Amino acid sequence: MEKKIEIKKVNKFYGRKQALFDINLTIGQGMFGLLGRNGAGKTTLMKTLAALHTKKSGEITVCGVPIEKAREIRAMTGYLPQEFSMYPSMKTDEALDYLGALSGIPKSERAKKVTSLLRRVNLIEHRHKKVKELSGGMKRRLGIAQALIHDPQVLIVDEPTAGLDPEERIRFRNLLCEVAEERIVILSTHIVGDIEATCEQIAIMDEGRVLWRGTVTQLLENSRGHIYTANVEKRFMPQIKKEYIVTGMLAQNDYTTVRIVSDSEPDLPNAVLAEPDLEAAYMYCLHSSGCDVRGGEE
Amino acid sequence: MLFGKECRKIIRSLTYIIYCFIVVLFFITQYFSDCNEREYPPVKNGDYGYKISEDHDLIMGSAVNSLISDYLGNSYVCYPLGFYKMVHLKKSDRTTLEGYIKEITGLDKDGLEDVKNNSQKYYLSSGLSENVEYDVPEIPVATTMTYDRFTEIMGDIDDILGGGSEYAVDRLVHNFSQVPMTYEDAQAEYEELFEKDRISGSYARLFCDYIGIVIGIMPVFVAVALVSADRRRKVSELVYTRKISSFRLVFTRYAALVTTMFIPVLLSMTAAALQLMKNYSGENYNLSGMFTLPVFWLLPELMIVTAAGMLITEMFSGGTAIIVQFAWWFYDVLSSGMVLEGRIGKFTLVCRHNTLYQRTSFLLSRDNFVFNRLFYLAAAIVAAVLTVLVYELKRGGKFNAIRLFGQGGLLRRKA
Repeated sequence: MEKKIEIKKVNKFYGRKQALFDINLTIGQGMFGLLGRNGAGKTTLMKTLAALHTKKSGEITVCGVPIEKAREIRAMTGYLPQEFSMYPSMKTDEALDYLGALSGIPKSERAKKVTSLLRRVNLIEHRHKKVKELSGGMKRRLGIAQALIHDPQVLIVDEPTAGLDPEERIRFRNLLCEVAEERIVILSTHIVGDIEATCEQIAIMDEGRVLWRGTVTQLLENSRGHIYTANVEKRFMPQIKKEYIVTGMLAQNDYTTVRIVSDSEPDLPNAVLAEPDLEAAYMYCLHSSGCDVRGGEE
Repeated sequence: MLFGKECRKIIRSLTYIIYCFIVVLFFITQYFSDCNEREYPPVKNGDYGYKISEDHDLIMGSAVNSLISDYLGNSYVCYPLGFYKMVHLKKSDRTTLEGYIKEITGLDKDGLEDVKNNSQKYYLSSGLSENVEYDVPEIPVATTMTYDRFTEIMGDIDDILGGGSEYAVDRLVHNFSQVPMTYEDAQAEYEELFEKDRISGSYARLFCDYIGIVIGIMPVFVAVALVSADRRRKVSELVYTRKISSFRLVFTRYAALVTTMFIPVLLSMTAAALQLMKNYSGENYNLSGMFTLPVFWLLPELMIVTAAGMLITEMFSGGTAIIVQFAWWFYDVLSSGMVLEGRIGKFTLVCRHNTLYQRTSFLLSRDNFVFNRLFYLAAAIVAAVLTVLVYELKRGGKFNAIRLFGQGGLLRRKA
C-alpha cells in the first residue's frame, strides 16, 4: 500500500463558522511542513487527519483508508497535540506503558518498546521520574515517544517546538527527521525555522485555505526578485514599517539595515535585491495571496 | 493489564482515599459501635415496641379513622419530595374526599358532621400555625368494601393530596397495621434472629442499611474524578487517538471504579463478620450471610451511582453529576419520611431497614427488593453502554460536552 495521505476538497465547519475551505493536498512519505499564522486552520486540519474532528464534505484517505474508518486510522496514526500533557503523578515509563496499553500493544512487547523508545528520545535516565518533574523539552520528547509507541505509519505533530529553548528545539527537529525516514510525518508550525530545518515539502495555510504548496526551493524561487535590503536612518523606520513588509532589522550605529519584501523596487536609497530566505519567502507568499502582513504602527 | 492500570490510577487519587475514609468512618461510627454487644432475650413486662400485623381490616379501619380526622380538621401531613408539608384541601377536593369516605364507611356529609360533633376537639401547634384535630371514635368500614378497592381509593386520595401522604399505597401497611408487641412477640422475634436469620441475616440487613446511605452518594465523586481527569489533565486527545475501542475503555474504567470502590465495603463486611463471630461465639450463625446479602444489596447501588456519574460527566462538563446525584440521593433518603424499617419501593435507591428485628416487615418488601436491585443492575449496565456511545461521539468530534456552569455555560447568569 502506498504511503500517502490524500485530501480532496475538504470543508470543515464549527457551527456556522467555516474553518477549512476546499482543502486539496497530497502528502507523501517523509517530513511535510504545514506553515501558517496562529488561527490559520493548521490544528483543525491536523485534528481532522487524526480522526478527532469530522469534516463537512470532501474526502480524506490515509494510506488508502478512508478517514471515516476511525479505528483503522487510529491504529496507523500517532498524534502529538499542541499542548502535550500527561497524568502528572505517573512515572515517565509508566505513562508510556499506559498509552501503549491503550494502543493495544501486548504486555510482552510493551516493556521492550518502552525501553527502546525512551532510549531513542534520550529519556532513559529519567524513566523513573514523574511526568510533572520533566522539563518542557523532555515532555515534548516523551510526547514523540508516546506517538511512536504503536509504530504508526503516520505521525502528526502539532506545534511541537513552541516554547522550547534553541538546544531542545534542534534536538527535537533531529528526532523528527530520524523518525520521518520510515513514515509520513506532518509537522504543523508557525515557526519558519522549524520547516527550514526539516521539511522539503510544505503547504502554507491562512484563514482555513491552502495558499501555497510545493517544495521549499520552489517557495524560495517564488519570492526571488521581491526581497530587498537597504540601509536607512533610524528615524525613518516607523514610516518604512508602515509602507513595507519588514522581515529583518539590524541596527548599526546611525543606520539600520532592513530586509524588505516588496512587489517592486522600494523607493529607498541603497536598496538592493537580496538572496531570498524562507522567512521572507513565506511573508511574500502571504502578501502575494492578499494577506495583510505589514507590521507598521499607525 | 489495562484494568490493573486503571485501578492503580483510582487508588492513588485523593478522592478515592477520601471515599474510603468516609465509608470506613461511617461503618465504624454507625454500625460497628452499634453492634459491639450481642442481643439478649427480652425481659418480661418490658416495652417491646410495635410490629406490623398486615391485617387488612386493621389497615382499613385505622386508615379511614385517620382520614376522617384529617378531613374534619382539613389538614393533612404530607412529605412530597421528602419535605414536610401541611396540606389544606379546597372545596371541590373535599367533596371528592367525602364521596370516598361515604364509599368506605357509608357516612354522608351529615353523618360526618355528627362524627365531628361527637369527637373531642383539640389544637395541635406545628411551628407558626395551629391546626384543629379531632379524636374520632372508631368508625366501622362498610362490609362491602374490598381491600383492593380500598387501596385504589387511597391511591386517589394520595394523588389529591399531592403525593407523599400517609395514605400512599406503599405506606399503608406500615402506617396503619402496627400493633404493640407482646412479650411473646418479642420472644418470637428474638428467636427469629437465631433460627430464621441465623444471626447474620439480621446483621447483614443493618449493615446494608448504614452502608447503603454512603454508597448512594459517595461513589459519584470518585467516578466524576476519574472521568473528568482526562479533560482536567489535558490528556483527552491522547486517549481519543488510541486504537482501543470506546467500549473496552469505558467498561474497563467502569469495572475498575466498581471494583476499587467495593474494596472498603468488602473490608467493612469482613470486619462486621469478625465482630459477629466474636459476639456470637458458640452460636449457630451463617457467616456467608454477612457477605451474600450485602453484595446483592449494595453492589447494584454502587454500580448505578457510578454509571450515572460517568454518563452525566461525559455528557455535561464539570460536576453536574455530583449535583444530580446529590438531588437524587437527598430526595430518596428524605422521601421515606420517618419510615426506616422495610422501606423498599420498586425504585428506592437507598433501601432502609434500620433494625436487627422486624424480619416480617422486610420480607413484605422482598419482591420489591429483588425487582429493585435487578432493575438497578440492568440500569447500571444500560447507563454504562450509553456512556460508551457518548464517549465514541466525543472522540470523533461529533459531540461536545454540554457546558452548564462556568464560562459559556448554559446556566450561567448573564451580567
